[in-house]
This record gives sequence, structure tokens and C-alpha cells, in this order.
Amino acid sequence: MKIYHQTGFRYNWNIESFEKGVGDGLIFSPINIDSDKLIAFKEENKEPSFLDPQLYLLNEAKGSLDTYPYFPGNLKPDFSTPDLDNSHNELAKLCVDYQMENNFDYLVIPTRYHSDNPTNYFLDSTDFFVEPFCEYLKEKKVSKKVLLSVIIKTIMLTDEEKKNEVLNWITGHQSIDGVYIIFENNFTSKQIKDFDYLLNVLKFINILKINQLEVHIGYCNTEALLYSIAMPDSITIGSYENLRSFGIKRFQDLENSPMRGPNARLYSSLLLQWVDYVYIQAMEKLIVNYEDFFDDSEFKPLIFKPDFKWHFAKAEPYKHYFYVFNEQIKQLPESQSDRILYLKQKIKDAINLFNIIENNVLLDNDSDGSHLSTWFNVINAFEKEIKYYV
Amino acid sequence: MIAECTSIKEFSQGGQKKVYLAEHHEFGKVVIKKGLIKSFTSLERIKREVKLLDELDSEYYPKQYHFNIDFKTNEFEIVEEYIEGLTLRENFDFFSNNPSRIFTLLESLIDGLSLIWDKNVVHRDLKPENIIIRPNMKPCIIDLGIARFLDLEALTKTISPIGPCTPIYASSEQLTNNKNSIDLRTDFFALVVIALELYLDQHPFNEPGGKYSIIENILQNNYIVENQNIKASKQMSELALKVLHTQPYMRFRNYSLFKEFLKTYS
Repeated sequence: MKIYHQTGFRYNWNIESFEKGVGDGLIFSPINIDSDKLIAFKEENKEPSFLDPQLYLLNEAKGSLDTYPYFPGNLKPDFSTPDLDNSHNELAKLCVDYQMENNFDYLVIPTRYHSDNPTNYFLDSTDFFVEPFCEYLKEKKVSKKVLLSVIIKTIMLTDEEKKNEVLNWITGHQSIDGVYIIFENNFTSKQIKDFDYLLNVLKFINILKINQLEVHIGYCNTEALLYSIAMPDSITIGSYENLRSFGIKRFQDLENSPMRGPNARLYSSLLLQWVDYVYIQAMEKLIVNYEDFFDDSEFKPLIFKPDFKWHFAKAEPYKHYFYVFNEQIKQLPESQSDRILYLKQKIKDAINLFNIIENNVLLDNDSDGSHLSTWFNVINAFEKEIKYYV
Repeated sequence: MIAECTSIKEFSQGGQKKVYLAEHHEFGKVVIKKGLIKSFTSLERIKREVKLLDELDSEYYPKQYHFNIDFKTNEFEIVEEYIEGLTLRENFDFFSNNPSRIFTLLESLIDGLSLIWDKNVVHRDLKPENIIIRPNMKPCIIDLGIARFLDLEALTKTISPIGPCTPIYASSEQLTNNKNSIDLRTDFFALVVIALELYLDQHPFNEPGGKYSIIENILQNNYIVENQNIKASKQMSELALKVLHTQPYMRFRNYSLFKEFLKTYS
């Protein structure tokens, strides 16, 4: 299973980590990286990577999106949905050409975002994106693998009819090799603790794998570990929270909207959790060898210096996460059954460590191990589920 | 061209057409199809079928020699190759309780059907009567009359409760007229129904004495893989398990995977 960096605002952190051997590639983000800049990136950073074309809102010119030749507003000012009727072939051509020019590992077919998908969403997606892209790729005799972008909303996991519709649609495309899939949810907690949701995600991935499609999951937080038991082809690591949980706000030009930074946190592979720095400070006072609850990395000595100024926008905790999570993913066993056993043991170990911590330091729901029992139960339920398919 | 045919004899009569058998000095035995064009939809279906057969130059399909529409009488006439052989229905004994022969037949049928699937066409009416087994045991697929051309505008009304099909070989997406879900996996379903029917000499969704009709059983995915006379075979059961699902995404995604599966048993 590969690990891609989900790049965003501070994409240089990802690139620096990647160049030090962390991760297998990068998913480039046009709203944050100027088109010419991306073209000038080193080949060795682009070749194992791919582009998320980010046509989610079609004509919202957030950040540097309009520097890309395929940006609809560059085809026609005030481009809107009806313009797709006449421009889909041109758009496909420009988007494919740009991706080819950069020699990325995969070619990605974009998708649009709707808060409530209209009834003709899949038909339109086929007509405006999938078919023109696949036809142009065929015409150009492109041999690279093709990924279809798909945003999966919670209702597509829970509503049987919608789930069937989306799965039949994805698996019905003969010319794609896989999906770049983004699971959108509206949970307010930092970790996903919904048993049904997580189990449905695993079942969804499993069906795509049964169909022998490559599954690349974008915008992952630490639940990527859990998703790994459905054997996807890749997961992502990202810095800020908006790169570890998909939200359309990231692509909207929300001028003057209030911004509030979250508390800084540090990831622990032993605890399978990000811990708020205020609790780390409490642990320092109340638990002997409190540092042992956190992984070693080149960043750890700095982070654990008494005068370290914690702030969510500082690079070190994120670079620490990239390194630690990458190591953790690489340690996962290859086979599904071994992976399941391994992860269950890790969860039990983490629960025990939390018990030790909470003898001295009480944690809130976003820093404690309250997601772990759900993870454990989801794994058991999924194990039962896959026996049906064997 | 029909004027050049001799010994014209009525062969069969379908819902919308009469079929004749005749001799042609150049092509030998030929089939003549004549019928009334009742609507724009039926005209379009005929035109699409004729154009497709014209493009296909394969032993898996009958060759098309002539097509004409008489707009005065609103009648169409088609002259096509006569396929020597018997329908698959008339060959059941050869395949009954013989998974290996059935798998070989399926491989051939997939080879033949892949020619239309690659053109984004779904047959939609595969059944033992629409497969002729030539004397060399190679199948020939006939009657593309209700084929779905996925790249062209659908001709079936969305409000129809059921899509065009022969119901007892139709998948659930045809029976519920879920047009958007129809693709080559719809044909996969029919192929495996046929395969199990050949194996058991009994329709797999028809359990004698059962309380549901075949169509109800298809919609509920209730089928049998053995009966009083024939025990379940591992390969037939596995085939059913891989394809007989109400949702297309639970079947093989493409024909390469289907063939790969068949090859694991060859």
C-alpha cells in the first residue's frame, strides 16, 4: 500500500519530507500551486505522483486554479454548467495534455462537487468527464493508468439505492484502472467514531477491490490505518486538518470569513491518536518518561524542548506525523488476515497506554482513545463481512 | 435481391416479422425477414441492428446481405445468412451435467459477444433460442433486435415498468427498467442463467413447487445450483456466485475478468 502526500497550503513541507524518503508520491493541489511552478518541479517528484485536477466547483477561481490551462474560466469567462455541453471535449483535451506534459504516474479524470447530487449527476459525469477523457486518451494512445475521481457522500454509503447506483456507475467504466476516492463526512469530532460509517467505507473499498480496481483514498486522517484492512492501493498523509478530512470550503473563495486555528497536536503511533499539546504539557508534569508515549523522529527533540512554542501552523509536528505515520503504514503486514490481527493488537496496546495516561491526565474526546473501541469492533464486523466474499 | 431468391418457404413468425427460408444463387441458403414498421422506435431498432451486423464480419454472427425499407407500405426486408445448425435449446443434451463443455461454450460466446461489447452494445436478449450451434459446435449469436447501443440515445421509455427483454433470462436491472445500470454485465447475467440451465436441464431460478415465479426469484436472487438429478459442481457454483447477483457491481467488471475466471478451470 502506497502513501501519497495530500498537498495543500504548505506543500513545501510535503515536498521536503518526500525528498527525505517519506511517502511514495504526492497528490498535487492546483489551488495552492501555480501551474508554471508545478511544471518546473523536479521530475523525480512528479513522476511517482499525480494531480487532483480540482474542478469540483467548475468555475470557482480559488488560489492559483485559474493558472491551469484546463480551468473552465480560461475557456470562457463566466463558464457555467450549460457551457459543458460545448466545451467538455476541449476541457478534457487540455486537462489530459497538462497531466501528460508533467508525466505524472496516473491520469486523473476530475469530478464535480454538488452539496446534494442532482438526479442526473452520474449521467452528466459520464458525458462531460469520463467519456471525453477516455476518448481523448484513446485517441492519443496514452498507456498511463487512469483514475476516476469520486466523492463519496455519507448517504452513498448508508442508502442502499444510492450505494448501488454509485457502485454500478464506477464499476461500469471499462477504460479506467482505478479510483481516486474521497469520502466526505460531516463529523465534528477529530476522529471518526461512527461504527456504521466506518464499516460501510470498508465494505465500499472492498467491493471496488473485488472489481479489481485500484483504490487510492484521498484526504485521510489516521483512520487510513483502519481502511488499510480493506486493502486499498494507497492512502494519504496531510498536514492541516483540511487535508485530512475533505471539505468543499477549501475550494471556495470565502472572503472575510472568520478563521480560527485549532490547537496544535502531536500524533502518536503508539496511541493511534493526535494529542492536544495542552495535555502533553500536563503529561510532562504528571507522568514519568511521558515522552515515551510519542515516537522518535528528527523533529522530536525540538518539539519536546521546554521552550517549544506550540502552534498549529508550525511545521515540525506535521513533518513528525508524516515520518511516523509513513513508518507505521510501512510496518503493516502484506496479507489482509495478518494486517487485521496486527491492527487489532495495536488497538489493544493503545487502549492500555491510554489507561496508563488517564490514571494521571484526563483527556478530552478529541485526544483520548474513545475512537479505538469503535475501530476494534469495525474490524471484527468487517472480518465477518469478507468471509462472505471468500 | 429477394427477387433473386428461389424456393422461398415460410420458416417462422415472430411478433413483428415473418421469417422465410430461401435459396440465393450467390449466397446459397438465406433467411429473409419481412415485417411492418410500427413506430419510429421499431424503425430505429431495425436500422441499428442492420448497421451493426453490417459492421460485424464474424462467424459469431449471421452475415447481412440486403436491407430495404418500403416507405409506401412501411415494410422492411432483410436478407441474411442462414446458419446451419440447431439452437442451443435443441442441444441441451450435449451440455447437460457437463461443466467443461459449458465453460468452453461460454468462452466462445464471450469471444463473440466481445465484438459487440467493444462497440458499447449490449445484446440484452441472450437465451438458448438466440444461439445457434453450428455443426462444428461453434456458437452463432442471432437476433440483435433489442440490443442496447450505449453510445446512442435510449429507445426505451423511462416510465416503462420493465425494459425490453425475455423476462426469464433478464437481469434485475432489465426487469426493473433501470436503464442506467445496463451494460455488458447485463449480458453476463443471461449467459450464466443459460449456463446453469444447460448444466441442470432446468432453469436455475425455477424451483418446482416453489412459491415464487422465475421473475420473482430473479429479483430476489433465489437460484439453485443442483437438483434431484444433478449434483452441484464446484465450478458451476462458483460461476453462479460470481455472476448471479441483482447488482451489476457484484458481477465481473469486464469480459477479460470473466474469461480469466473460465480459464482457471480449463
